[in-house]
Order: sequence, then structure tokens, then C-alpha cells
Amino acid sequence: MKKRMSLLLAIMLLTISVLAACSGGTAEEPNQGDEGTQQETPNTNEGENTEEPPAEGEDESQGYFEAEDPAANPDTAKNRTDTLIVGMTSPKGVFNPYFWQTAYDKYVVNTVFDTLLEVSGDGTYTESLAESVEVSEDGLTYTYKLKPDVKYSDGTPVTMNDYLFAMKIMLDPKYDGESDMMSLNIVGADEYKNGDATEISGIKVIDDLTVEVTVTEATAVTRDYLGDVALLPESYYGKDFKKGDMDSLKAMHDKPVGSGPYVMTKFSPGQEVVFEANENYFKGAPKIKNLVYKTTTEETRLPMLQSGEIDMDMITVSEDNVEEVKMMGFIDLNIFPTNGYGYVAFNHNLEKFQDQKVRQALMYGLNRAEIVESIYGIYANPLNIPESSVSWAYTDEDVEAYEFDPEKAKALLEEAGWAAGADGTLEKDGEKFTIDFSATADNPVVEALLPIMTANYQDLGIEIKAETLDFNAIMDKKDQGNFEMFFAAWGLTPDPDNTVYITDGAQNDTGYSNETVDKLMKEGKMNLDGPEARAGIYKQMYQEMNKDLPNLFLYQRRDGWAINSRVNGLDITAYKDFPFSLYQAELEQ
Amino acid sequence: MSLEAAPLDMKTQVPAKQPDSPWRIAIRRFTRNRLAVIGLLILVVMVLFCVVGPWFSPYDLLEYDVKNKKNLAPNAEHWLGTDKLGRDTLLRLMLAGRISLLVGLVATAISILIGATLGALAGFYRRFADTIIMRIADVFMALPTLPILIIMGAILSDLKVEPKHRVYFLMLILGVLGWTTIARLVRGQILTLREQEFMQATEALGLRDRRKIFRHLMPNTIPIIIVTATLGVAGAIIAESALSFLGIGVVPPTPSWGNMITSANSLIDFRRRPWLWIPPGMCILITVVAINLIGDGLRDALDPKMKK
Amino acid sequence: MKQYIIRRLLQMIPTLIGISILVFAISSMVPGDYITAKNSPSMTAEKKAELRAIYGLDKPPVERYFTWAGNMAVGNLGDSLQHKQPVTKVINTYVWNSFIIAFFSLIFSWIIAVFTGVLSAKFQYSFFDKMVTLLVFLCMSLPSFFIGLLLIKVFALELGWLPIGGMTTAGSKATGWGYFVDVLEHSFLPILVLTMISTGSLTRYFRTSMLEVIRQDYIRTARAKGLKERTVIFKHALRNAMLPAITLMGFELPALFGGAIILEKVFVWPGIGQVYLESITVRDYPFMLGFTIFLAVLTLIGNLISDVLYGAADPRIRLK
Repeated sequence: MKKRMSLLLAIMLLTISVLAACSGGTAEEPNQGDEGTQQETPNTNEGENTEEPPAEGEDESQGYFEAEDPAANPDTAKNRTDTLIVGMTSPKGVFNPYFWQTAYDKYVVNTVFDTLLEVSGDGTYTESLAESVEVSEDGLTYTYKLKPDVKYSDGTPVTMNDYLFAMKIMLDPKYDGESDMMSLNIVGADEYKNGDATEISGIKVIDDLTVEVTVTEATAVTRDYLGDVALLPESYYGKDFKKGDMDSLKAMHDKPVGSGPYVMTKFSPGQEVVFEANENYFKGAPKIKNLVYKTTTEETRLPMLQSGEIDMDMITVSEDNVEEVKMMGFIDLNIFPTNGYGYVAFNHNLEKFQDQKVRQALMYGLNRAEIVESIYGIYANPLNIPESSVSWAYTDEDVEAYEFDPEKAKALLEEAGWAAGADGTLEKDGEKFTIDFSATADNPVVEALLPIMTANYQDLGIEIKAETLDFNAIMDKKDQGNFEMFFAAWGLTPDPDNTVYITDGAQNDTGYSNETVDKLMKEGKMNLDGPEARAGIYKQMYQEMNKDLPNLFLYQRRDGWAINSRVNGLDITAYKDFPFSLYQAELEQ
Repeated sequence: MSLEAAPLDMKTQVPAKQPDSPWRIAIRRFTRNRLAVIGLLILVVMVLFCVVGPWFSPYDLLEYDVKNKKNLAPNAEHWLGTDKLGRDTLLRLMLAGRISLLVGLVATAISILIGATLGALAGFYRRFADTIIMRIADVFMALPTLPILIIMGAILSDLKVEPKHRVYFLMLILGVLGWTTIARLVRGQILTLREQEFMQATEALGLRDRRKIFRHLMPNTIPIIIVTATLGVAGAIIAESALSFLGIGVVPPTPSWGNMITSANSLIDFRRRPWLWIPPGMCILITVVAINLIGDGLRDALDPKMKK
Repeated sequence: MKQYIIRRLLQMIPTLIGISILVFAISSMVPGDYITAKNSPSMTAEKKAELRAIYGLDKPPVERYFTWAGNMAVGNLGDSLQHKQPVTKVINTYVWNSFIIAFFSLIFSWIIAVFTGVLSAKFQYSFFDKMVTLLVFLCMSLPSFFIGLLLIKVFALELGWLPIGGMTTAGSKATGWGYFVDVLEHSFLPILVLTMISTGSLTRYFRTSMLEVIRQDYIRTARAKGLKERTVIFKHALRNAMLPAITLMGFELPALFGGAIILEKVFVWPGIGQVYLESITVRDYPFMLGFTIFLAVLTLIGNLISDVLYGAADPRIRLK
């Protein structure tokens, strides 16, 4: 009995603990609590951000807020002169760049390994291990050159043979990681994966420092995708590797060896990961000698920052938390827009939602501003297109803001042919306007969304039958098309290309179909002329979506790092995770 | 120990001629137990508070006002303050009580009923009956609760059961999942009781099994049942809020004490906004204490060994 | 008695088979799988199918059951999808951390419960009894995370006596005695809270059973014989009040290894409870199934032990 209850209570805690996982990456916003189950997929950080985030002071809801009273730093933190402690949800121990399962495993991966190209603060890709990248005229051949004299932490040199080894792992028939190299159309990949080929014909190692990759069809993301591959020493990982057998790699998941800024020395599951600086790091030896990733939970992040037990952690950005952190006085706050958004999906196969006017009415008739205000205060805003406000593809030109306007909503519903029946509920052709509504239980917004939506729509004459459900139960309903409306959240890839809104897209389970969107999405994907040219295409697409409303777009919230003021030199943005700037961080003495 | 251990058969009771029937004695003892009566009164007041109270509230369940009334401390207009949507805590507290009291009491009653009956049967008949019933209990205890609840939630959702009716399923599910503890406890008691002298007397009298079990054995397990019940009510009230997340319980805006407490969940709410969690917490506490007082009174009243 | 134990052990086989079928059926009825739980926006339909094939999720449930049950019969619980390690290894990594907390709180809560329960009964309706009763219900009316948060606030933040969470100080290289002290400091609060929670209900059960027993004739007889009150209470009465306690003792066995999910979260204790909960939310079936069966075996053994102990506490009980 005791255990039963505690299991139940734990579910509630899941709701409580809010979304502090996903940053700078892609994929579903982690709406399963802070368990970090929603991951970024490797190799998708290929956006090219040209827009500067709003300067400090312009917008109180984001930016870098310096601590006001650094002297208040507790001794626990001050006396720790050569160690940086980062708090995070517990990593699982799959510390391999091709196999990691949670965002926290990925933090460790990014600390121990390097990629050819890596993301920089504005979301563009720059050379890391790579010295240069050349793309052929036709866009089908990509030549990557390696920086010379880079060594792994075990002393073996980094060569492009390791790149080939990486590709062989990711294209192995038994490969069960999430990287999807097949989607890059590498020549010979299919023969290797599904046939007897022992080599991948499209990948040629010219010499130790040069590799040439040929593809059959290029898209806007091919260059960055192919370059965002981490290198690991074949001499260590490849000892017992055979095509079709991943077991030899599994044994090394918790004993990683790479070329990154830090070397992992100890992993205590559920407790901590301990690192030591890699003195031979090719970008220069890290300035902080010791690094610890300590497990924290939503309940303990703030207290541990306050006591000085940890130096930094990602916190849920709400008014309460921000105020609390500012009151501590010695904590800097770095707040930026989350790469994701909350939305309410329509089932477009149902007749009532096929009318654009009805969808617009439901948008005008919902007080989105108050929903986000009550949960996040100023740290979230209603969103009108499915794109992050810091993306290069974002636009607010000619975009309707759908301010709360019940009268307009009523007028639109009337135009669409819905009229009040005897009991005040809207009717059309004898059908009452009721909506079965499912919300993912583990999102804090539900607590405000359901009451406000119920009240707002009742006012319009629409009856909401709301339920909260387990996240996977909703995903299952979605897959089967067995729903009317549901609330969930999407993560965003830095690149705007996706299959959520195109007709029959892999991620489109709501039956949405719009020729204009289909056409523009494809144009954007196939355009190789860089972000500026593509931005124009996406702008048109978002304007169309803003008018046509494939979903009720609800809100974009903020992510934030709380960092002890004694830590300097980190460069964290919505696109660039903290491990990428660890080597240049310093501790104030 | 004597035959008095259990109330006599109803048929033998002729109230007019036998003013001192065990039931009457029990009632008299109960009403003389000051604490028990207080407990009963508290519970009645609590029920009235929740059922009648909302009629006197100037506010409405659906009413919210984020802009002007978010997280107000208790004041003249809102005696218990407001929550983050600007809703009146007092009104929500009263409405929540309807759900929580119902769920707590009914779910507990169901699991006690199933558990005590099956436990008594197993303990009395032993051998085959015991093996079957207790192995079923073992299986129930071994099943993972959370996945079952997720499945139930999904099924209720697929069947399009009205969300407001799901609370009945919730009580049933909580009741059915919770019977094993009490079954094992009652069985353990019966195993020893059935070997005692008074049972040999019932044997000698040639009483039927049913009467032996329900009139003579079960009453002796009442103390343990009462403890389990009081503990169970609090547990069920709190568990309810967890289940609503899985599509089984109540859905916002409908409040319950459990979901009111758990929505005020951070260290910050804990410290800065005590009006969000103290009232529901107090209500649960008062209810449980009241039930416990009643339980103690009942136990004493039914206990033949207490001679006053 | 020996015969009874052997028979019960044999009964465990069909019971376990039944449990395994039910548990597996439940797992296959739960909506979603490891792939839907990821809900990755860039995963193509082909990639999804490929992963399902590698994980064996594409086969019919009956076939999957026999594969799983067959492997389990030879001690192979499969590999956790999320940890990419054998389930047995994952359990072994985390379960002992949970055990430490549960074990000590078990000891403390039983000792405290016996004494307070007995004293409460002895001095029924006294001030002490009323206070204990109120305290017990106070602990039950607030969720345990509230109690945990309160203690963190007082002992860790305001007084600074104890660390907030975790099992060791981050980056600590202490060994031997130093390590022991470190773990002791970190485990103090979780053990305290777990003890508080479990003591409450135990106290109530002890009090009730004692109340029953001390009114019985033989206790009066014992007193009349002139035995010391302490002997009467702790030797004669307590022994007979033990029956419900023995039942509850049986439940403690799976609880020792099951983890305390909420406390693990509040105190960042690296226990198995959270790992199990997460395996359910992300549909990591091999782990979820493996751990459920592990707990099922413990449940069966625990109940068997309590049945055997009944006979020791009250020789009149004859289970055959």
C-alpha cells in the first residue's frame, strides 16, 4: 500500500517538475517532466542564425542578468577554487556520441568528444575538428579536412579513418541509436546497410586528414549534417567491432575516450560524473581543472545553488524562480527562448475543424495571454507561427496576433454557420458543438489551460469535455487519429525544415493538408543558397500557416541557466549548449 | 472470552423485551463516548461545509481573473486568498471537499468490503480457499499499479466516458487495487481467532459457517479494520489527485483537496503562499482525525470486554 | 511445517507464471512504446520501423512473451533500452542505494512504533496518546515531499547542518571512514522522512493490537500473579499483539528493494524507484518487466515468511 501511494504521488511530482531539459537542440520539448526523455537527435543542429537575440534591457523576459551581490557567495562555493560543479538530471550512462539516449547523456558526450563542425552561439556551424569544408559545384561532393596533430586523450592521433568508422557504426544494420544517416542519401549507404557491401562506396578516406563524401541528392542541411559527426578512436572502440554486432561497443558506453576538453574519470550512476581537464585539448587547455556533473532534481536545483553545492543548473523559468534566484544575489541568469512551443492540435479529418473560420474563431476566442501569464508570468508569450523568435526563419511581418476577442470569434462562428441552439450551445445541421479535449498531464500549463479554455469556449457556446492523459496515451491516440483536440508541445530544430505540417508527413498525424505549405516547405528544403534566400520562402509559408492555423499555436516559453557569479566565460545560447564553451570558462578566485 | 464477543443474531432480538441488546449497548456506549461524538459532529460539519457551503459563495467555479487577482493573500473579499488563476481558494476548498470526501470514503469502503470478506473466508476455511484467495492477493500485490492506471485512463478515454463520471471509476479502481492489505491482515487475525475457545463454543452450538464468520469472527477484527480504514481514507484522498493526471480522476477546473495541495508544490509556494496548501491540508487532517475518533468510539462500543 | 513451506514454494511457480502473463499483457496494452515516447520530430517512418525491428517491438505479443519468458527462465532479463545495459546490471547498480535507506528506516520505524504504540495503548486517551495520534495523522495529511522540503529548508538551508541532497559530496575522493561519514550525512534526512512516514501507520496498528490484548483475561491473570508490569506488557502482551505486525512485516520485503520514488527525487538519492518510474514513462519494457518480476518474487517470499511466522507467534495457528 505504502509503495502504491508513493508511486502515485510520484506521478504528481512529474508534473510539478518542469521541463528543464532541452536546450539548444531539437526535437520534442521535454514534456515528460524533467526526466529528459525527449531528446535532441544527433546531427540536426544545422540552422544558420543571422539574427541577433534582443539586446539586454530591451526585453525583460530574456537576456543575461548579472548577479547584484556577488559578495554573498557562500563559502562552500568560494572555497572550491579548481572545480566547477554543474547540476543536471541524472545521465543514464550511455556516453557514446552515436548511442546517447537522453539530453544529459549528450551533455557528457559533448564534453568528452568533438565533432568536425560544431554549433556556435547564433546557430550557425563553424569548424571544430575540421580545418575546412569544400562543397562541389553540384552540391553532391563534400570534402572535409581535419586539423593536424589533434590527439585523443589516450594519445592516439585523430584521423579521418575514424570518420569512416563512425559512419560504419551509424549505418550498421544493427545500429540502434537515433542518428539517421540514411536520410542524407550517401552513395553506397543502402548497399552497406541492407546488403553485403563491406565498405561504403560514397565515403573515401583520401589521407589521414581528408575525407570525401558523395551523396545522390543534396538538401540545405547536408553539409552541416555530414559535418556534425563526433570522432572517436577506432583503435579503442573498434577492437572487437564487426559489422552486424554492436555488443562490443555497448561495454564501452560508460568508459568514453575522445578528444574533447575534459576526460571522464568516474561515473557514479544517479550521483555524478567526474571529469579532469584534457591538458592537450586542441583549442587550448581548459582553465578549470576539475569538472563534476552532479545529479539534481527540480526540487533541489534552487536550494543547491543557494547553498553553493552546485555552481550552475538549468532552471524552470517562471516568475517565482527568477525572483528567488535574484534574491540570492550571487547568481547570474541567462534566459533565452525555448526551442519549442506549446500547441493545441485539431483533428483535421473532423468536419467541424475543416473550416478555416472555425479554427480562427477558436484562436480569437481563447485567452492565450492569460494562460501563459498565470503559469510563467512574463517568461512566455503567445505564439502565432510555429517558429522560435530567435530563428533566422522567424517573421512577424503580416502575421495576425490573434489578440483575445470573443466578439470576433462569435462573428466568425456565425459566418461558418454555427448558431446558438435552445440550450445556448452552438449547433449546425443538428450537430452540437462539443469538443473532446485531451491534455498531456505532465505539463504545468494544463492547470491554467483547462479552466480558461473551458470558460472561454463556454462563453462562445462550445462545450469542452476535457481530460488529462498520460503523454504516451495521447501520442497513441494521435497515431490512430482517434481524437478531436489535444494539447502537447513540439520541440524545434534549428533548421525550419520538418514534416509536421506537410501532407502525409512522417510527423503529421492530424490530417492537415495545405498545398501552399507543402510547396514552400519543399522549396525551402531544396534551396542550397543559404539562410537569407531560404528565409524569404519560409516567411511566406509561416504567413500562410498563421492564416490557415494547422494548430492553435499557444506559447513559447523561456529556458534559463542559473550560474554562480564566480563562473565567467561561458557562452550559452538557445542553440549552443554549455559544454561547447566549457574549455574557456574560468573561476573567479 | 465469551459468546458475547459478537452481537447476537437479529432474529433473536426482540427489542421491546430485550432493551439491552448488543446493538443498543453499542449505540449507548458510542453516544457516551464524548470524543466519538465530537468526531461524528466534525464529520457532519465537514460534509455540510462542502455540500452547502458553495451556495453561499459569491464566486463561480469557472470564474478566473489572472490580471487582477493572481495569488492574492487572504483578505476581506477572499477569506482564504486566491490561486495563480485568481480563483477563490475558499470556494475551491468547499467544492474540492465534495470530491475528496466521496472518493476517500467510498474507495476505502470498497477495499475494506472486498478485503475483509475475502480475508475472513481465507482465514476461516484455510486449505483450498486460503490458497486460492491468497494467491490471487499475491498476484494483485505483484501487479504494477501505474501501468494498469495508464491503461484504465486510455480505455476510459477511448470509450468517451464523460470526464465528470470518471470519478466513480476512480473510486472503484482505488478500492479494487487496495484490498490486498486488509485481506491479509484480517486473514491473519481470523487464523488465530478461529482457534480460540469461543469458536469451539460456536462449534458445539452447531452454528452455520456464515454466522460463525460474520457474527462471531469478523466483529473481532473490527479494530484492525478501523485502523486500516482511517489510514486508507487519507491515502485515497491524496492518491486521487495523482490518478486524475492519468485520465481517471477529476479534471481541472474541478478541484479536489489532493490536487489543490499538489498544485502548490514548490519550495516557493510552500513558503510564500501558505494559503494555497494549508487549508486543504487541514481539511484532510480534520477529516482523518474525525474518522479516527469515530473509529475509536466504534471499537470501544463494539468491544464486549469493555464494561462500563 | 516443512511440508507446508515446500508446498508453498511449489505454488510459487504457477503464481509466478500467472503474474508474468498478466504483467506482460499489461505492458503490451499500455499505449505507446519506446519509440512513440521519444516523439522525435526528425525521425522518419523508416527509421521508426527499423528501431522497432531491432528492439523486437514489431512482433506479435504472444511471440514476444515466449521469447521474454524463455530468456527469463535462464536468468536473462534482457537489455534496458534506455540504459543500453543488461537489466540485472541496472537493478544491481541502483537497488542497493534504495536498500540502505529502506533498511535503516525499517529498523528505526519498527522500534519507534513498538514503543509509542505500546505506550499509547497502555495510556489510552492520555495526553501522550492524543499527541501521538495527532502527529501520525499530520504526517499522513501532507504529502511526503512537503515534509521533505520543510526539512531541507530547516536543516540544510537555514541551519546548514546537513547537505541538501545526493549520496556523497560532489567530486569527493574520500574513502573508508571519510566516505562512510559522507554517506551518513547525506542519508540522514531521507532516512528521517521515510521513518516518519512509515512509523505513523505502524504505530496505529501496534496501538490497536495492544489495546485488544491488554484487556484480555490472561493479562489480568499475569498481573494478578504479581509479574512486573514491564514483563507483562513486553513479554506476554506484545507477543500476542504481533500478528498484524507479522503481516505488515511481510509487506516490508518488497518495500526494502522497491525504492521510495518521491524521497529519491526530493533528496536526489540515486535509488531504483526513480529509474523504475522513468522506465514506465518512457516505456523501457525490458527494465519495467524485469523489475516488476523481481518485486513480485520478493512479494511472494515476504508473504510466505509472514505465514510461517504466524505459527511461531501463535502455535495454535496450523497452516497446512
